[in-house]
Amino acid sequence: MGGLALHAQTSIEAPPRAVFALFGSASGAGWLFDATCDRVAVGAVVTLQAPLGGERITVLGRISALRPPGPARPGRIELRLDQPWRGRLRVLFEADGAGTRVRIVADLDDSGLTWLMRRRGHPVPERAHAGEHLVGLLTSKSGPGSVFAAASENLAAMAVDEVNADGGVRGRPLRLVVGDDDTDPATGVAEARRLVRAGCRTILATTTSATFARVSADLRRAGVLLVLTLMNEGGLGGELCMQLGERPEQQLRAAVTPLMRAAGGRRWFLAGNDYVWPLAVHAMARPVLADHRASIVGEGFAALGTRDFAPLIERITASGADVVLSSFVGADLVAFERQCHAMGVRERCRTLTLALDEPTRERIGDAASEGMWGVSGYFEQLDGAANAAFLRRYRDLYGRFAPPVSSIAEAAYEAVHLYAGAARRAGEDEPRAIARELRSSRARFPRGPVTVAGPETVRQELFVAEAVPGGFAVGRSG
Amino acid sequence: MASDLAFDALADPVRREILSVLAGRDECSAGELSAAISRVGRTAVSSHLRVLRTAGLITERRTGRFRMYAVDPTGPAQDVIRLLQELFQSSLDAARAAAESTPGTDRRAM
Repeated sequence: MGGLALHAQTSIEAPPRAVFALFGSASGAGWLFDATCDRVAVGAVVTLQAPLGGERITVLGRISALRPPGPARPGRIELRLDQPWRGRLRVLFEADGAGTRVRIVADLDDSGLTWLMRRRGHPVPERAHAGEHLVGLLTSKSGPGSVFAAASENLAAMAVDEVNADGGVRGRPLRLVVGDDDTDPATGVAEARRLVRAGCRTILATTTSATFARVSADLRRAGVLLVLTLMNEGGLGGELCMQLGERPEQQLRAAVTPLMRAAGGRRWFLAGNDYVWPLAVHAMARPVLADHRASIVGEGFAALGTRDFAPLIERITASGADVVLSSFVGADLVAFERQCHAMGVRERCRTLTLALDEPTRERIGDAASEGMWGVSGYFEQLDGAANAAFLRRYRDLYGRFAPPVSSIAEAAYEAVHLYAGAARRAGEDEPRAIARELRSSRARFPRGPVTVAGPETVRQELFVAEAVPGGFAVGRSG
Repeated sequence: MASDLAFDALADPVRREILSVLAGRDECSAGELSAAISRVGRTAVSSHLRVLRTAGLITERRTGRFRMYAVDPTGPAQDVIRLLQELFQSSLDAARAAAESTPGTDRRAM
C-alpha cells in the first residue's frame, strides 16, 4: 500500500475476550470500540464518529476480518475504511499476564493524507502533469452525503482507467482531481474553485442539489462545464450546466401505483430534508398523486444533519398514512428510517424513497429497511451481461469489501464515459464545444441504453425495487 | 510554502516509512533508522532524511558523533500524525476505562 502506518497501544486489566467483546457493544468504550454496527461479523458495515481535532468526523467502513482471542492466539478485528479516506484499521488483542495489550495499526494512503492535511487547513498542491486532460470530481467524502457517495469516486476512477486504456482523449490521459464538499454548499463552492485553479475546465458533481446550485451560481462566468451526475430536480440546465440523472416526476410516476398496491391504501405522508431537491420532490408529488386519486395526509421537513426525528415520526403514525414518501438523503435517511422502524412505522406504512440506494439501504440495515422501496435507473441486481461484467471489474479493482454500487455511483461512471466521448467528438478542449457534444450523447451502460437529449434530459428505463435482506428485489417499471 | 515542500516530501514511500518509524518514538539515530528500514541502504536513508529536514517535517540534533532525528513538532505532517495518534490513543484510553470499570465477575465471565 505504501501509505503511512500509525500505531497506538495500551494495556488493559481485563482478559482479551472481555476487551474484544466491547467492540460494537455501545458500552462507552471510546469512539473506535463504540463502532455502530448491527452485528459484529465479517462484511458488516460500521460507522465511527471520530473526534478529530475539535470536530466529529463520520468514518464509514466495513469489518473485513475478525478473530476472537483464543487461549493461545491474539484476537483481531480488521476494518476497511471507505469514507472520508480509504484505508485499513487493525485492532489486535493480545494476552498480557491476566490482562490485555491492545494495539491499533492504521494505514493511511496518499489521498487520505491529502484529505487530512486539507481538512486541517494546510495547503496541498495538486501535482499537475503536462499533457493530461484534467476533470474535476466534486463529491461528498464527509457530512451526511458520504453515505450515498461511498462508491462514486471508485467508479469515476474506474471509468477514467477504462478511458485511458482506450487511448484517453485524443492521445492524452484523463486525470481526475477530487474535491470534497463535506455535504455543505459553501465548502462545495470553495472546493469547486480549487478544482478550477488546479486546471479543471469541467467538474462532474455527485453531490446534493444544494451544493450543485450554489456551485453553478458561483462559477456562472468561469467558463467551466458543470455536470450534475445523480438524480435531481433539474431547472439549471444551460450552455455550460448540465443535470443528468433521474427526475422526480418520472420516478414518482413509475413507483406510485406499485407502492399503493403494496400498501393497500392511497393516503400519503411526505417527509424530507428541507433543501431544494426534497422540496421539488414534494411539489411534484402533489400533481402526480392527484392523477392517481391519492391523498396527502401530512407533510414535514427536517434540516440536513438532524438525528432525532421522533416528533415528525409521531405525526406520521398519527396521520393514518398508508405510504410515506421519504425524501431524506444519506446519513439523515439512515437515521430517519431506523427510527421509523423502531417506532413502529413499518407495521402501518410502506415507504417510497427516491434516493434509496444500496449503500444507504445496508446502513439502514436488513431489519429496518424491510417495507422500503426505491426507484431509479440502476440497481446492482439488474440482469444482463454488461452489468455482470461491470460489477466483476469493480470487485476486481476494489475488493469484496468495497461499498456496493448504486444508481448514484454508476451514474458517476457513466458521466466520465459520456464526457470522454463528447471530448473526443468535439476534437478540442473548449468546454462549450464539449458541452455541445455532451448534450446529444447516446451510449449503452450497465443500466441499459442512455440517451442525453439536451442539458437536462436523460432518457433511460426506471426500475422499482423493494428492499430485501442483502439488497433489492427489482421489478420493471409500469 | 513549507506545506508544498512537505507534501512533495511525503509523496515518497521511503520517506513516509521513515516518518512512520519516527512517529512511534521520541528520537532516532540515522543508524537506528537504517536498521528499521530495509528496502533501501544507509546512503539513501541519509538523503531522504535531508529532504524531510528541508521540508520542515523532521528535526536533526547532534549529540557526540550521532545525529538524532525526530518528527518536527511544528510541521504540517506532525500536525496530521499527532492528531491521528491522539485520536487512536484516546480511543484506547476510553476502552481501558470502560473495560476496567466493568465489575470483575463480568470481566471473567467469558
